Amino acid sequence: MSETVFSLYSWPRAILHVDGDAFFTTCEEAIHPELRGKPVITGGERGIVACASYAAKRLGIKRGVPLHEAKALCPGLIVLPSDYETYSLFSRRMFNVIRKFTPQVEEYSIDEAFADLTGMRRAHHASYETMARKIKDEIGRDLGISVTVGLSVTKVLAKIASKHRKPDGFTMIPGRKIPGYLRDLPVQAVWGIGPATANYLWKMGVRTALEFAKLPERVVLKRFTKPGQEIWRELRGESVYPISLEEKSVYASISKTKTFAPATNNPEYLFAQLLRNVESACLKARRYSLAPRKIVLFLKKNDFSFRGEEAKLVRPSAHPLEISGLLREIFDRICDGKEICRATGTVLLDLVPDRNTQYSLFESPMKAENIRRLYRAADILGGKFGKHTLHLGGSHLIEVLGKGRRGEPTARDQTRFLGETKRKHLGLPILHVKV
Amino acid sequence: MKEKRSLETVERRISEFFLHNRRMPTYSEMTDLLGVRSKSVVHFWVKKLMAKGVLERDSKGFLKPLRRSLLLPLVGEIQAGFPSPVEEELRDVISLDEYLITRPVSSFILKVSGDSMIGEGIKPGDLVIVEKGREPKNGDVILAQVDGEWTMKYFTKRGGRIILESANEKYPPIRPKEELRLGGIITAVIRKYHR
Repeated sequence: MSETVFSLYSWPRAILHVDGDAFFTTCEEAIHPELRGKPVITGGERGIVACASYAAKRLGIKRGVPLHEAKALCPGLIVLPSDYETYSLFSRRMFNVIRKFTPQVEEYSIDEAFADLTGMRRAHHASYETMARKIKDEIGRDLGISVTVGLSVTKVLAKIASKHRKPDGFTMIPGRKIPGYLRDLPVQAVWGIGPATANYLWKMGVRTALEFAKLPERVVLKRFTKPGQEIWRELRGESVYPISLEEKSVYASISKTKTFAPATNNPEYLFAQLLRNVESACLKARRYSLAPRKIVLFLKKNDFSFRGEEAKLVRPSAHPLEISGLLREIFDRICDGKEICRATGTVLLDLVPDRNTQYSLFESPMKAENIRRLYRAADILGGKFGKHTLHLGGSHLIEVLGKGRRGEPTARDQTRFLGETKRKHLGLPILHVKV
Repeated sequence: MKEKRSLETVERRISEFFLHNRRMPTYSEMTDLLGVRSKSVVHFWVKKLMAKGVLERDSKGFLKPLRRSLLLPLVGEIQAGFPSPVEEELRDVISLDEYLITRPVSSFILKVSGDSMIGEGIKPGDLVIVEKGREPKNGDVILAQVDGEWTMKYFTKRGGRIILESANEKYPPIRPKEELRLGGIITAVIRKYHR
């Protein structure tokens, strides 16, 4: 059988995917050199494994596992609280190294970036491969962390490349070599193909990414919606997804969850936590001038089961004061006051731009306008003195009883240089070495 | 006698105005400032300053000083006493951050706890900036892990052999036997006396 060819050219475009290797623990190892190579996990404050080092992964410790199970697998496990301040410093540095090679960098998540190198060969007097390897090496050398780099012609393929060999890997899939990398790849491992699509493909007899990519166009157009068609094109080396440079400002939903320890069944405390979730989520919504039409509240029980409910608002609003009555109603339905809960959370759904509000017939526009002004002031206060400086009485209990024990404070929190405050720290990662 | 205008005098006048009023002068204010009659002459000089990289226009077309040009004047070497306005040459300005940290991407901060570099003036409690990814030269103060122990020392390499010396007689020089892992080079020392 003749070899399938999707692209006659090797580099119609050059898309890079940089992926941190066990990013959180790798950052910890960079600032605590004595931890290198040891089984380390972060997420101590949440009671579950947020990130496991490769040494911990080899012992069978996976992400999302409860702490006690992880400790049972490895008695000598080193458990650290998440230090997001340090991780974001490393993250920003990682993106800055990539920006030295191209201005087109998409900060996809804290430890992942896409970059478009197309056309930069002449500027750097280097092949795409050399550039990609240089980016990887510079991140390793300057930040002291290892990353895996995938280089290909589309985002979906670049992601497949970076997944191909991890950690500390480098994989390149030029246009001509696409089929070789798709042949043994299960179709559900492709970025963007979820369990539903994968099951559908199975029914059609498609098991591997290559079989999917080889489907004729008319079948794809007939059987799949736009997202599916786009992935099919990307797999064939036709770049569809752009590298988006803008900070994300369009959200389909905003969610806020908080796990606290010890778990409790005190309804007032639970309600205060839930209200604080809503306040945090609304704060974010207001920052992007969005307001939700629907809101979900949920409680997470000690056995990790959920109980939640969804409600529709009379009109879109990102002002907790306006909806606090409704929140209490939902809360009273989902909380029986007996069951012990470990986390509360909220999801704001159906976000719409927050302007030209159409008031409902039975409310006072004056009152609504005052609330709007109140939150404008609250947001200014928050910017100056820390968020939730001005908060609802219902969530005040958190300030009184404390935010709940959040495990050990991070090494960064325990270090305070002369002149630093709790809220303001020097913007450099601290090396924890005794010399 | 009519004063001869040069790019330097024009730049100084505008800078003085900017430092004094904390905003840029308008064209009509600049006619007075430069002692000229028409705004087209002002425009002529503004264009020159833009070409020199002192001024630029923002998105709405307003003039503004380019970053680090008209801001804080960096005073040349001061002996004792206050600088006189004449000596106050305008220079480019760098922040203390930029002065201390040459390569922000690869710099880390470390609090010193020992006294091995006391002779170099690095005391326990001092903060040092550690830069990763640079090859050490003879005489550099480096952070390194030698045979499992972290240490801060002077680096010397002679004939392929590395010697690490401290700035304190208490500690003998180290000749790494097993392995030496470089943690970085010390590029600055910071000591703060007051909050």
